This record gives sequence, C-alpha cells and structure tokens, in this order.
Amino acid sequence: MDDLYLDNIDEFVNDQNKIVTYKWLSLTLGVHVNTAKQMLYHYLQQKRNESSGTPLHATYLVSGKCVENGSTVRYHKVSVVREDKLDAVKAKMDVTISVHVYSVQRAELKDSSPLYSTDYDAVKENLKNCNKYSAIRCAAAVPLSSSELQRAQETALVPPVEKEISKPGFNENTSATSKPSAKQPAGIMGMFASKNASKSQESSKEVKTEQKEDSSLVREQSKVSKALKVESKDTRNKTKRPEVVDSDDEKMESQQKKRRRIKKPQPDSSDEEVVPDSPPVPNVHTPSPKKQVKREPVSHQEVMRIYRPQTRHLYSPHKGYVSESYSESEEEPESNSQAKDSSSLKQSFGKREEEKKEKSQKKTSAAKKPTKQPSIMGFFQKK
Amino acid sequence: MATLTRQDLNFGQVVADILCEFLEVAIHLILYVREIYPSGIFQKRKKYNVPVQMSCHPELNQYIQDTLHCVKPLIQKNEAEKVVMVIMDKEHHPVERFVFEISQPPLLSISSETLLSHVEQLLRAMILKISVCDAVLDNNPPGCTFTLLVHTREAATRNMEKVQVIKDFPWIVADEQEVHMEEAKLIPLKTMTSDILKVSHSQLFCTESQKLNEIL
Repeated sequence: MDDLYLDNIDEFVNDQNKIVTYKWLSLTLGVHVNTAKQMLYHYLQQKRNESSGTPLHATYLVSGKCVENGSTVRYHKVSVVREDKLDAVKAKMDVTISVHVYSVQRAELKDSSPLYSTDYDAVKENLKNCNKYSAIRCAAAVPLSSSELQRAQETALVPPVEKEISKPGFNENTSATSKPSAKQPAGIMGMFASKNASKSQESSKEVKTEQKEDSSLVREQSKVSKALKVESKDTRNKTKRPEVVDSDDEKMESQQKKRRRIKKPQPDSSDEEVVPDSPPVPNVHTPSPKKQVKREPVSHQEVMRIYRPQTRHLYSPHKGYVSESYSESEEEPESNSQAKDSSSLKQSFGKREEEKKEKSQKKTSAAKKPTKQPSIMGFFQKK
Repeated sequence: MATLTRQDLNFGQVVADILCEFLEVAIHLILYVREIYPSGIFQKRKKYNVPVQMSCHPELNQYIQDTLHCVKPLIQKNEAEKVVMVIMDKEHHPVERFVFEISQPPLLSISSETLLSHVEQLLRAMILKISVCDAVLDNNPPGCTFTLLVHTREAATRNMEKVQVIKDFPWIVADEQEVHMEEAKLIPLKTMTSDILKVSHSQLFCTESQKLNEIL
C-alpha cells in the first residue's frame, strides 16, 4: 500500500487539527476498518520516530478478560483509554485480547465526548452503508422492507401511548427509588442537585436508543400518525398556517414541526404547544422534521422536566423563586449580587471565585444540602 | 414554497433562541476544556445529539443564563456584534478571549429547504472545535476566572439600562482593562456560515496574550 495515506493523516491531524478516529478514517478514505487501524499505527510510529514537531496524543481500544476482585466472575471488558493509562489498564486485565489505536489527535482530550462527536457526523452521512467497511458482519441484519416497516410502526404506536401515561407519574416521583441505578455522587457533585442529573441522564439515554432507528422508519411513522396529528393541530392556536393541516404536503407539515420544536422553549402559555414534542419522542433537540411522532398530549411541565436540562429554566417564569431560595439558605449569593451592583465586575468575580473554592473545599454540611436540593427541585415542581 | 422572512413573527426569536442555546453550551464547554473550574462540577449532557459537559453549580449556571437572557433581545434585534468570554488570571488581566462574532443578514429568508439539521451540524462542528482548542492554546495559569462581555451598537446599551430585563442583574460598561488585551495573538477557531446566519459568518476565534509566553 502506498504511503500517500500518511500525508493524508498528517494533514487531518496537524493542519486541520481534527480528531482522526479509525472509524472516521475508514469512512473518509474508503478503506476497511482494520486497514484504517494499521494506517493510524504506522502514522504514529513514523511521527514518534521523527521526534520533532507537535506532540501527538493517541487513544487506544483495549479489550480483554477481567476478574472482579475477590469474586470468580470473569467479564469481557472493552474500553477506550488514553495512551498514558494504557499500560495500567492492560496490567489489570487477565488476558488482553486486542489492543489497537482508536484515535490520533493533537489536543489532549479531557473526556471522550469529542471522540463520539467525530464519528457521529461521519456515520450519519453514510447511514446506509456505514458498516460497509466494518469488521462485524451478520447475515440476518438487513434493513426492513417498507411494508414490514409500516407494520412495525403501527405496533410501536400502541405501547408508547401507555408508556406516556406512566411517565408523568414516574417523573413526579422525585425520590431516589425511581432511579435505583443512579448512585449518589460524593464530594462536590453531592452538593448540587444530583437528582436532576440522574433524571436527565436517564432520559437522554432513552432518547439516544430511540435515535438509532433508521431515518426511513420515521417517514412511515409520520404518515401513519398524521391522522392523530390533525386532531390536535386544530386545537392549537399558535400555528401560523392552520390550513396546512389539511394539505397533504408533508414538507410543509415538517416545517411546521420544525417551527414548533423551536418554539417550545419559549414561555409556554398553552399546553397544546407541546403536543408533538412530548417526551418519548426522540430527538427533541434534533430538528430532523421526520422524527415527529404523534403522542398524546402531555402537559408542558412534564416535558420540561424530562427533556430539558435544568439550565432551561432560563425560560421559567418562576426565576425569582430560584434566586430567593438561595438567599434563604446562604448569605454569600446575596452579598455577591450586591457586590455586583455597587462595585466593578472584577471584584465580584474575585468573590465568586473564592466562594466557589470554599464550596469545593467544604464538605457537604447537613444543613445546606436539604435546602439546596429543594430549590433546584422546586424549579421542576413549581411549574 | 412558502418562506419565512425576518418580518415574520417569531423568526428573530427563533434565531436568537438557537444562538443563545449554543452560546450556553459553548461557554460551559470552554469552562470545562480550559479548566477554569474543577472538572468535578461538570456533568455530561446531550446537545445536538452529542455529549457535552455542563456545569452543575447552580450559581454559575444562573449567572450564565441571566447573561444570555439579557443578550437574547439584543440578538433578536440584531444589535449584538459579538459576545466575548474573557478568561482572566488572578490579577484580572485577560489571558484569553473567546470571541463569538455574530452577524445576521438584514433581509433574510429561510425556505423549507433549510433544514435545521444543517444548522445543528454546523453547531456540532463548532462544539467539536472548542473541544480540541487546547492543541493550539497555551495552558492558563492556575486560579483563572472568567467574565462575559457583549459588544453592542451604541443605542442598544441605552435601552438596556432603561429596561432591566432581569432584576438585580445590572450590566455595566466593561473596564478597559478587561476589554483590551496586550500583545494579543489571534487564533481563529471556526467559521460557520449558514442561511440563518449568512453574509458575514459566525466566527469563533480566540485571542491569547503573548505576554504569558514570556513569563512562563
């Protein structure tokens, strides 16, 4: 194989400052994943031998068998690790089955999110043949035909309706029993409302799995659910073009959906606004118009609770509530805001920084914790 | 096909919403990547279908949100030129500035062909660029803080003073010290052009103080 690919990788990594994962490379260059892995390895070797130029960082995928401490349970572990942790992870494993380069980049990554990000767009572009170069094969895994698709959609519509009814109850239950798997993070995180975090995590996980549906699947869904939509659309008073409802133009409808989705974060006056954007629908944040599945009306409050990260209370009409509660529980925020009023921004930042340091150093005091959490939870309930 | 023009109700609001959402995510991400605050307060959330880091500290979040809440009407009226996130060291000298230049075309219309998924893709790319920015930036000294500045046109600030959008969250004119950075080195990070934000583009660039390089 000629060495042109080394120049390509060099360009991606050094000139464009991209993260080059093996999956991204295989889709970009049109080669099998194993070839891509080898390319990355050779590139790394070459650059390291040169020992000049900008430092490169790499991540590796390690898989092997592990044994839990003190138990006889053996499990297969696959993990992506940074280069500096590679040896430690390998040492922990009983048997190391495979190690290969996962990605090469100039920046030292703080977490794994950019790795997912890089692959996301590349895969989305080639959704139909994203496994063309993959090493994993299954003869039974073929896309559904359109008739099978429609059947699957019709049956799928029934259980989600039931799921929705139980969901509002699920989310109203703020006790930890609803999240048995979420552990209470200690230290700094324990000071904040960790309950909200686990909530949003769970909901985002759900959304993620639903997103794995094929995009063609959704087209069928929207057609089937159109009947249901018409009913709810009539009640909406915020749509600009209500006559569109009657038209068969799906594009127009999808534009409506787009607009509706964006309008969602605005201070909500009507519950109907929410109708197409209810919780179980995937891609609340993805504007792909096709993914609008009709659901039963869910009150906006529940939607906000499930899908909006807590920062969304930007639009909450009860903002005052949140800040008030802080002044009850702590004196610092109050003095802080006063400082902003009277002195320059600089000073207030100094104070803010000190305050933060104090917070991180202080262990969670029993008095503080209960007042803080209700204030955050209060946002969700107050609506 | 029907098109939305700027005069249409809510269009400006839509664009402002999208931008403010993006700015919020970007600010949190910069705080995480540049290690302004310990990584323990951050938590993975999802935005534009990819994981991002958001802080859980209530006051920090409140501050960022309040700022953006005030900025939003400016963006809606197309009065905000740029939003700057300044990172300062202990002596409050700016060390880095992340500048988000926003411009919107005066007569803009989006057609139904403009898919928001395209905008999402561009914003995703911006987020990715922020994540890898420390390849091109030097490390900051410990104990940094940050502040948010908005550069607006003249008339806008007068309106802001008249109408306090959020109570007890006043805006003041920034000090010269914060705005001006000595020996700044300009590092462009990402440019994004889309139908919604056309003409000039949304630019994100970072200016870094070179004085630091001499000290360290």
